[in-house]
Amino acid sequence: MEVQSEYCGYCGSCVTVCPEGIIELAENGLKVEIGCTDCGNCVYVCPMGALIVEKDDD
Amino acid sequence: MTKLKYDVVVVGARVGGSTSALFASKSDVDVLMLEKRQEIGTPVQCAEGVTYNTFETLEIKPNEKYIRSRIKGANIHAPDGRCINYEGGVAEGLVLDRKVFDKELASEAAKSGSDIMVKTAVKDLIIKDHKVCGVIAKHLGETIEVKADVVIAADGIESNMARMAGLKTIQSPKQICSCAQYEMVGVDVDPNYLEFYFGENVAPKGYVWIFPKGDGVANVGVGIRSPDKTPLYYLDKFVSKLDAKPVELNIGGVPLSGPIEKTYTDGLLVVGDAAGHVDPITGGGIHPTITCARIAGEVAAESVKNEDSSSNYLKNYEKLWKKEVGKGLSQSAKFRKMADKLSDKDMNLLAEFIENQDIESISKIAALKFVGKNPNLMKLLTEIL
Repeated sequence: MEVQSEYCGYCGSCVTVCPEGIIELAENGLKVEIGCTDCGNCVYVCPMGALIVEKDDD
Repeated sequence: MTKLKYDVVVVGARVGGSTSALFASKSDVDVLMLEKRQEIGTPVQCAEGVTYNTFETLEIKPNEKYIRSRIKGANIHAPDGRCINYEGGVAEGLVLDRKVFDKELASEAAKSGSDIMVKTAVKDLIIKDHKVCGVIAKHLGETIEVKADVVIAADGIESNMARMAGLKTIQSPKQICSCAQYEMVGVDVDPNYLEFYFGENVAPKGYVWIFPKGDGVANVGVGIRSPDKTPLYYLDKFVSKLDAKPVELNIGGVPLSGPIEKTYTDGLLVVGDAAGHVDPITGGGIHPTITCARIAGEVAAESVKNEDSSSNYLKNYEKLWKKEVGKGLSQSAKFRKMADKLSDKDMNLLAEFIENQDIESISKIAALKFVGKNPNLMKLLTEIL
């Protein structure tokens, strides 16, 4: 998952849907740790469209 | 490293956290409330409407310094433009300035004896023998250890406290209402009525709201559950019809799944958005949160006095909040499942039926006759019942 920080409004919606628990709303922005599976849950709920995951074409 | 010891530590200083801190300190225990942001009440993630019973639960008289508008009712706009007026009842209340209100509520907690630290982010829980017994926080680069008998997690939708303690808090994305709202100037609406707009093109699986704040100012927002476009897209589309200008953009997600499976564990209670204390139909969370947060504060204080903050004692919290709001939240969750299946056509038919009647006095026979004539609504109703 990639964060387009210029769109992110730091609302934290992505944190609650991340099955890996690797997103944190830190003081200076969104902190994403290693382990993202590109499941797309965070993209689904982001009000700003700030998150992007690689789409699997298979 | 600074080391502190309190009876109760509350994580998060919005309405849930401040209410818990207020009622815990009223019960005469030592409370510390931690807020990660440097200012309590910002950013706003709320349409700012409350019912009067919120203040009854808080035992606080509403103060003019945060009241923006007094609401007498609501206008509900169906997809075909038909408008239903609803007077009083659940639509009656106040539109607040949450930035002022949240800070006031935190001040009430402080006046009752709670200590508060701002710009203090909790990084970890202290867990000993499977029991939560405090938090590790960061304040201006310094690590602080706060030992406590009870930790109250009121850390919002971005909560990670409960998950760290082993509680299941992860939400399905389909259960999150994704919202965007502008505070706008120059909105031509009745200052005493809320406006709601429904329809697949306006807000798929959600609605548009206009909450007036007086003097032509209003919160205009959209909440949706759809992966195709963002709520900001629908919001911009909606406001393009208004001759109004934005002075603030608020965004956020609202959990509509109802409460999480378990809201307590050894040494920890969860309240508010973090616990799913939100009405699944309206997305309104202030009243359920305040009700549950008050109970959390009181139970935490009792557990300190009884020297027992085990899971076995703290389960009283869940038992008590379920007694107060559990039934309402479950019913709302059922109705939401039904509402999710309503097409624009169904909503228009419902609006047509209600339009010329006094909502409070629609007879059961008339309602049954109406549903009987509309097979899709009948099917939905049967599923629910």
